[in-house]
Amino acid sequence: MKKTTKRFLSLFLVLVFSLSMVSCGEKKTEKEETTDKEGTPSFSELKLGEDYTDLSADIKFLSHRTDLQDTVFQDYIKQFNELYPNIKITYETTTTYSDDMPTRLTTDDWGDICMLPTSVDKNEFPDLFVSFGDKETLDQTYDFLNDKSYQGQVYGIPSVANVQGIVYNKKVFEAAGITEMPKTPDEFLDALQKIKDNTEAIPMYSNFAAAWTMGAWDAYLGGSATGDPDFMNNKLVHSSNPFSKKDDMTGPYAVYYVLYEAVSRGLIEDDPTTTDWEGCKGMINRGEIGTMVLGSWAVVQMQDAGDNADDIGYMPFPISVGGKQYASAAPDYCYAINSKISTDEQIASMLYIKWLTEKSNFAFDQGGVPIVKGSQLPAVLDAFDGVELVVDNPAPEGEESLFNELNRESEVGINTDNTPDCLILENALNGTATLDEVMDEWNQKWSDAQSSLGIEVTEE
Amino acid sequence: MGENISNTSKSKKPFNLLSWLKSGKGQRATIIILFMAVPLFLLLTFTYVPFAKMVQFSFYKMKYTGPRTFVGLDNYVDVFKRDDCFRALWLSLYYMGGAFLQLALALYFATLLSFKVKGGNFFKGAMFFPYLVCGIAVGFIFKFFYTRGFVLDTVLSWLGFNLENLPYWLKDTKINNFSLAASSIWRYMGQSMVLFIGAIMSVDSELYEASSLDGANKWHQFKFIILPSIKTIVVLNLILSITGALSAFEPPYVITNGTLGTATYFWVMNKVAHTNQKVGLASAMAIVLLAIIFIATMIQKFVMLKVLNDDNDSVSKKTHRKLAKRNGGVA
Amino acid sequence: MYFSLIVGAFISVLPVASCVITAFKTDDEYYNTNVMQLPKNWLNFDNFIAVFKNADMLLAFKNSAIILVFVLLGSILFGTMLAYVLNRFKFLGNGLIRNLFLFATLIPGIATQVTVYQIMYSVGLVDKLVGYMILMMGTDIISIYIFLQFFENIPVSIDESAIIDGASYYGVFFKILFPLLKPAIVTCMILKGVGTYNEYYMANLYLQSKDKLVTVATSLYKFTGPVGSQYNLICAGVLITMAPAFLIFIFCQKQIYSGLTNGSVKG
Repeated sequence: MKKTTKRFLSLFLVLVFSLSMVSCGEKKTEKEETTDKEGTPSFSELKLGEDYTDLSADIKFLSHRTDLQDTVFQDYIKQFNELYPNIKITYETTTTYSDDMPTRLTTDDWGDICMLPTSVDKNEFPDLFVSFGDKETLDQTYDFLNDKSYQGQVYGIPSVANVQGIVYNKKVFEAAGITEMPKTPDEFLDALQKIKDNTEAIPMYSNFAAAWTMGAWDAYLGGSATGDPDFMNNKLVHSSNPFSKKDDMTGPYAVYYVLYEAVSRGLIEDDPTTTDWEGCKGMINRGEIGTMVLGSWAVVQMQDAGDNADDIGYMPFPISVGGKQYASAAPDYCYAINSKISTDEQIASMLYIKWLTEKSNFAFDQGGVPIVKGSQLPAVLDAFDGVELVVDNPAPEGEESLFNELNRESEVGINTDNTPDCLILENALNGTATLDEVMDEWNQKWSDAQSSLGIEVTEE
Repeated sequence: MGENISNTSKSKKPFNLLSWLKSGKGQRATIIILFMAVPLFLLLTFTYVPFAKMVQFSFYKMKYTGPRTFVGLDNYVDVFKRDDCFRALWLSLYYMGGAFLQLALALYFATLLSFKVKGGNFFKGAMFFPYLVCGIAVGFIFKFFYTRGFVLDTVLSWLGFNLENLPYWLKDTKINNFSLAASSIWRYMGQSMVLFIGAIMSVDSELYEASSLDGANKWHQFKFIILPSIKTIVVLNLILSITGALSAFEPPYVITNGTLGTATYFWVMNKVAHTNQKVGLASAMAIVLLAIIFIATMIQKFVMLKVLNDDNDSVSKKTHRKLAKRNGGVA
Repeated sequence: MYFSLIVGAFISVLPVASCVITAFKTDDEYYNTNVMQLPKNWLNFDNFIAVFKNADMLLAFKNSAIILVFVLLGSILFGTMLAYVLNRFKFLGNGLIRNLFLFATLIPGIATQVTVYQIMYSVGLVDKLVGYMILMMGTDIISIYIFLQFFENIPVSIDESAIIDGASYYGVFFKILFPLLKPAIVTCMILKGVGTYNEYYMANLYLQSKDKLVTVATSLYKFTGPVGSQYNLICAGVLITMAPAFLIFIFCQKQIYSGLTNGSVKG
């Protein structure tokens, strides 16, 4: 019953809309014609507050940010409605977002806007989502579009981007006598040792019990560990033993080396199985924790969790490639629009996403990097002076979905599966396997999957 | 089955629908069909149709969205080749042990509490309490229950244990599965207890009186009257506890994330389906597990029925007969 | 005997201690003290008030009550009817149907959820209370077996004499047997009721418009998020949601007792 009333309502709104179009000034009549001809306009052409201000639509926005639903998002809607009074936005947030979305996407009517789930491969984009326009044009205004583009079209606009580094407490570092910031894995481990010897603080808090915090280690594999923007999407897929140790201590091995050694040398908390993600924020704020390996989004939270916001610092991951440090910068969840909704709903969705991207200040408030070119970087990244930010290049045409497929088939699960990362800590904790053994297993899985998917191995 | 009945009535006399419907047999047939229609419809739509789909999925390499390829029996071969699948099944032993303990405790408390006990309502309430806690808080509760120096350790230190000698309940791989199984006992013991209390209610209270006249004590009453009378429920619960043990999922999911050797078969299956997006493989895993459960259930049912029938029925029948005599042979 | 009861009750309530302690803490205390530290003020009910307001608890209780009424009515009616037919009539397929229901509990939901979702979507029952209620009504094996158990202990002679007196099968079921099942029905209502009341997963997936269709179990979702959970509020919320369930449970216990003392079990 509700559905039919909804349908009638939308039909009614469409009628009202088209009537008002006819009766309104000439300029808008023109607009309607253009949309009729071309369907959805390009994202970059939309002018906020000028185009389509009479547009009426009901937009359902699916998001994982349950914490913002009643607060920040309601504010956004209010502000957006000052420009577009007839576009009604409803947020639907859920805690189990990444589990629910694959199920919901199997039906057409899942909503209008969603945060594009990682489970969707690039070659499925055109089927499920609306293109925001061609990538070349959008690239002139926005950064970080590589991740959710396919065949020259952009299907996902990043909500915010993150720079990968390590959160640390400056006071703890001072008290431990660390005068120079560590730039290599071994320097970093020495620094942790100093914290253990000279202070009461936990050198590195693993947050193991939360699991996703362990998966976060994967984010450093590319840019931070190699400085090479082609590593993730181009080289890794075709490499034979990408997880092996390299002499200069760069690459994936070096990242996991930090984790493994910190655990086996006893530089983490006493009992990782009962770590408390809520509690750790206050602990690092009070100086009871030295470091935590998390993306830049975490900094604001650690600062807000107590009275010592100034003590929280952010440093690049301690790997140097040829004496220079790099940091991966990558988009967070991206906004995407359902391709099975009406043109009006698509336009309305686009307007709102554009507003979120350019006017909401969302990225900055969340401590992330805004995607609009020339935006101000968050203050926490001041310490990244001289560190080069690396954005991964896209895969070549025809191989867009290869990384995802390989990642799934091998179950190494880079950036998707926390279990392999958890296993590194477990093995270090109980001494059940050396890091080399773990990495060899990953290599094995990787090459098994490469051969079963028929992927050519060209890189060493 | 409805046809069966109508056929027999047809052969006897010319068919008249109305009078047939009013006749005993017609009524029987309609009531059978009518009373079972809705539950069977729900069962087929929401369990067996999806089940058929699942069987189909198990022959494909697929995600939920995107293209699928038919791979024949590859997924099944994979299930047997993977070392994390069958290793995970061993963990079921912990949960099976836990389930038996849970049922034994539940039977014990249910029997105690179905007689008049001071504060019986309070005890029932308290023991049923864990079942009322909603899932969202269970992970939280148990993490802090087992955290070093927190709830459990505090209580144990009151009892004179030294914190130094206590294990890390979740970190120690020798202990953590016991800890998880215990959390499951905690959560569901009250539920089984209420179930048993309910079943014990179906026992005629006169049987107790008759038996106590015969000089039976509480244990005899339990063994010869209560247990045989609630046989159906007990057997069902034993079957469900084996099933539940083989498909244990929640404790590792909410408390340990399957780390440190706590990944049960279901946990692995969930990971394979959701994280690794191998829906076909997960479906094959489900079917392999179903086959295992099916075999286990058959063996168990056979054994249980044998044991219960041979041992106790004769005795309970004796009591029944005595009672019948006293009541003038009516019952 | 009392010793074991007291120990049992103590162990049952003990793990919740951390939850109770946390529920009375202010945000500041929550972030800055460890979980076992007692709250400064045991009369700090702010969390309870905040949860009640922010989580739309009133609406949640209303929705849950509606769901409970229909789901319980449905599943008990269908469950008893099914058990009656299976217990009292011998017909071809009787054993098969029992086994179908038993086998159904063995099928893992994880592997079938997407198909169920698609079925629900295709009949337009996603994001509707009715749809969710139908899903929850799918009679569960435990209730069916409880009813079967009860029918086994009700002598067939009762049916027979009623039939001889001219009652129809329907009359026998609704007028004579159904009232005799009271203790079984109460048991099932408690178990199924709590199960439904606390059911989170399906409610979360199928009742999507949480501003309208929130249930007691899903009402607390707002306090868990990708970047952190406000467990002081969640714990308060859990205590709030448990209160009515607990009271109803105690109340139903009395019902069972009265059922027993009236000796209505055997009629």
